[in-house]
Amino acid sequence: MTRYTKLAGVAVLLMLVAAALIFFYAPEDYLQRVPQRIFYLHVSSAIAAFGCFGVVLVSSVFYLRNGSLTADRLARAAALVGVVLTTVTLVMGMLWAKPIWGAFWTWDARPTSTLVLWIIYAGYLLLRRLADPGRQAARWAAIVGIFGFIDVPIVYFSVTWWRTQHPGPVILTNALPTEMLLTFLVTMACTLFLAGVMIAIRYRIEVLLDEAPSPALARAPVVAQREPEPAR
Amino acid sequence: MIRSTSIALAVARKDLRSEWRTRELVPALGQFVVLALVIANFGFQIDSRNAATIAPGVLWLTLVFAGLVAFGRAFAAEREQSSLEAMLLTPAPAAAIFAGKAMAAALLLVVCEAVLLPALSLFFGTPLSLPLVAAVLLATVGMATLGCLFAAMVARVRAREVLLPLLTLPLWIPFIIAGGQAVQVAMGATGSYNGALGLLLDFDILFLVLTSLAARFVLDD
Repeated sequence: MTRYTKLAGVAVLLMLVAAALIFFYAPEDYLQRVPQRIFYLHVSSAIAAFGCFGVVLVSSVFYLRNGSLTADRLARAAALVGVVLTTVTLVMGMLWAKPIWGAFWTWDARPTSTLVLWIIYAGYLLLRRLADPGRQAARWAAIVGIFGFIDVPIVYFSVTWWRTQHPGPVILTNALPTEMLLTFLVTMACTLFLAGVMIAIRYRIEVLLDEAPSPALARAPVVAQREPEPAR
Repeated sequence: MIRSTSIALAVARKDLRSEWRTRELVPALGQFVVLALVIANFGFQIDSRNAATIAPGVLWLTLVFAGLVAFGRAFAAEREQSSLEAMLLTPAPAAAIFAGKAMAAALLLVVCEAVLLPALSLFFGTPLSLPLVAAVLLATVGMATLGCLFAAMVARVRAREVLLPLLTLPLWIPFIIAGGQAVQVAMGATGSYNGALGLLLDFDILFLVLTSLAARFVLDD
């Protein structure tokens, strides 16, 4: 059992603890009933996703400054985990919106900017896959990572100046009862831990991928390796 | 600074002269724009009552895809003849070369807009006013800088035709949000035109600064 398997096991256990709190400890919302329980994972995964993209931003800037391979691999790992967590956020949000807002999707500031975020980093992953691996690809991806992170607050604020329906912040404004706040904080801590473990595992995979020959090379027929001609 | 400016202008002049001599991109873009309007007509069932609400959307959709075609071609000739490497071998700063390419591509898009806006006004019966032209031109500046940055990037990547829209379109969204608002107001919707125009100007400045910082990393080998 490797270090990574143990870490993954702990992360899964922690998420189960969070699930138990969400379903059995947190009180039911008076107005929204059961669907409100989506809140805990929805907001936690959104915060964890932002954290991941923050890691991408910082490591991209770092990579452009001094070309550190560690920073580049970290950016690759965090971008992938961030896209996964954004997907979770979007899907949970849509499931919540259907009973409460009456539709899976509304062109509201929050879902719209989150969708743009998802598209930008999905493009980032695609660029990493399509560009020939190397210094240039890493630089280009770093630029996409930086521009992407700047684009999202812009989209968010420029849309919110005109219309919004998504609820505002509830954590910092003390709007939650203690049990709900506690459940939320535990869920957020567990989700952040899970995100950290996923980044660590993905980082290890990136290291192994960098060392392994490219898949195209591995699949190529062996004819390429010619035996040296025997001396006559 | 003066040297960089003259290098940028020289690169832009070279691109525009090559376009003037071959005349391949501008006629194609003009035709593309008219074709997009014809398709919009069939897709939307346009009549005199709904034209003013549909026209801004048609304008931005057409402009965005025409822009993708224009910026995708901006580095095509350089790639086919490997002349970008030759330019980078000269002592000219990469940012100046990039600025020249972006200026030329932006001018080609402006020529394309000179076809699009009158055609839109003719086919949809919407007013062709100064506020409309100002909003579209301001958005063009920012879209051209970002579009050229990513075009330079994907020019050396496999599947560049797929990747260019995927990387560029999400980053153009701020310009389409603000520009869309400005054009809607210019065509008769309610809202703040000055606010949207100010926002466009802010985005232009922000992305011009960011792109000039990033250009070095995209072009350098």
